[in-house]
Amino acid sequence: MDNDVTNYTVIGRIGEGAHGLVFKAKHVPTGREVALKKILIKNLEDGIPVNVMREIKALQLLRCKYIIKLYDMFPRGMSLVLVLEYMCSGLWDMLHHSQQELTLPRVKTYAQMLLKGTRYMHAHYVMHRDLKPANLLINHEGILKIADLGLARLYWPDGGRPYSHQVATRWYRAPELLYGARFYSEKVDLWAVGCILAELITKQPLFAGESDIEQLAIVLQHLGTPTEETWPGHSELPDFHKITFPESSPTPWPELLPGVEVDAVDLVKSFIMYDANKRIPAKQALRHQWFHNRPQPAALQDMPKPVMNKLK
Amino acid sequence: MFSTSSQRKFWTFSDEGELAILREKHNLNYIAKHGTHIDEYQRYNFFLSPDEERLLLKQYELHLKEFCKRFSPPMPKGVVGTAFHYFKRFYLYNSTMDYHPKEILATCVYLACKVEEFNVSIGQFVANIKGDRDKASDIILNNELLLMQQLNYHLTIHNPFRPVEGFLIEIKTRCSLANPERLRGGIDEFLEKVFLTDACLLYAPSQIALAAVLHAASKEQENLDSYVTDMLFREAGQDKLAVLIEAVRKIRSLVKMVESPAREKVRLIEKKLDRCRNQENNPDSEIYKRRMRELLDEDDIPHTGSSRMSLDTSGVTQVLSPSAS
Repeated sequence: MDNDVTNYTVIGRIGEGAHGLVFKAKHVPTGREVALKKILIKNLEDGIPVNVMREIKALQLLRCKYIIKLYDMFPRGMSLVLVLEYMCSGLWDMLHHSQQELTLPRVKTYAQMLLKGTRYMHAHYVMHRDLKPANLLINHEGILKIADLGLARLYWPDGGRPYSHQVATRWYRAPELLYGARFYSEKVDLWAVGCILAELITKQPLFAGESDIEQLAIVLQHLGTPTEETWPGHSELPDFHKITFPESSPTPWPELLPGVEVDAVDLVKSFIMYDANKRIPAKQALRHQWFHNRPQPAALQDMPKPVMNKLK
Repeated sequence: MFSTSSQRKFWTFSDEGELAILREKHNLNYIAKHGTHIDEYQRYNFFLSPDEERLLLKQYELHLKEFCKRFSPPMPKGVVGTAFHYFKRFYLYNSTMDYHPKEILATCVYLACKVEEFNVSIGQFVANIKGDRDKASDIILNNELLLMQQLNYHLTIHNPFRPVEGFLIEIKTRCSLANPERLRGGIDEFLEKVFLTDACLLYAPSQIALAAVLHAASKEQENLDSYVTDMLFREAGQDKLAVLIEAVRKIRSLVKMVESPAREKVRLIEKKLDRCRNQENNPDSEIYKRRMRELLDEDDIPHTGSSRMSLDTSGVTQVLSPSAS
């Protein structure tokens, strides 16, 4: 078997995940740079965590240019090491450290890459459930890829199974999750895509709540108190009656996204809908007028090529 | 999709002969490795023969079926099917003398629970096991990584249960068969038995599903042949139809031949196994306990200091998997 630690030279540490360390390494036989994600199993009560299992299953199924690749795996003592595509930067870094590089044409290209990855996932009945800038990585060529599929899972199109509602990072969490929905769909990803898109354009998070309750309050304040028409079935969600917010009418979108061109606002608002079934699917969003308007999306050679050394 | 899956590419074999060769190879390897001190003629008096291993595994497949049936909370069919696949795959590349089937059985079911999203904690899981539950949970957790590795991390399993639903929907909408739901009893019974055969290592899940549906129909004195020839394969051509008919015939005959191994024979094999099994992998042996301790000590990751070294905890992989490489 070829998959053994002796095939890799560890170059340095990239970061620390929930279950262990991530290293940058070189696969000696091919010279390929990889990320080694080491999952320590020794002290975990139930053995290999279910989310690691989900990540493996999802990554084995998904083979897409815009989704990070899982090359290999091998055991190392009481740990499992995942060999992943090495990505030198991420959208979070772009937003926080090099905003000047995020010109409108580039934003459009990142949005297309994100939507293509999302379209592919959803076509394979995988929902990510934790899309956010920190999980969108960028490689040396400037290609954005969806990563960290630890919360990703297969869904059944008929919506017959309950899922955990404690998923997704708060700012990007769809309102049905904030109300504790157990039956939801891949549409939670589309809400997150809308939030990320708005953030790329304005360089500010769209809904930045400090707590789950505040998050809900902000969303409700901006979109207005939900009605049976804007959000069918919302009053039956598990946590709906646990908390009431003052009645509010929707904030006009131009106020929410000041100075943003009409087509961009239209696309964002097609994602940010209470009614999950009305959110625009990734496939359809890719055909949106915004991508055809000037300025056109940047070509790959004009995308930022991160060289930033993230090693700690 | 099955057609692009690792199941089709790596775990669907051409015929039973290929399976027999693989199994025999690992039996011989084990004996070659551990039997140098025993006279050639005497070897099978001490070690299990390939036939004995087969018989033992058949018995443990029955145990696997019973364990899943009695499991609380009730286990979805997909978990059972996946566990069977894992168990069969594991012993294509390993001897029962290296890894005792009772330990691998529990590990297969535990891993299948996770992969199929049937979420039970290890505590809940071992509550279904008789005897020392702490020990059982240690064994399962220690073997989990080994099992994944031996499966080559091919975790996703395509079971025949979903294709069955597809066939039933189609029969309901396109055939004149009255009350197709009455086929369910026969289908379930057939699929339960099919996992006691090698069918899932030889045929596509949809072929197995179709065999189950056709079997159930004939039990109900119905005939769905025209559904297969005129609808399902209308445009596929005669040669493809012939392949399918042969597959269905073979699957049905495999199921017909299922029988329980004789109790007395299995008892003798188990006794033999207690003596010839690899003590390095026997949780009750001193050598196993010592190795486990070493493994724990060696694997402490220094969270600070030189990162270059922290992946490197030498020589421990072999302990988990003496047969790999």
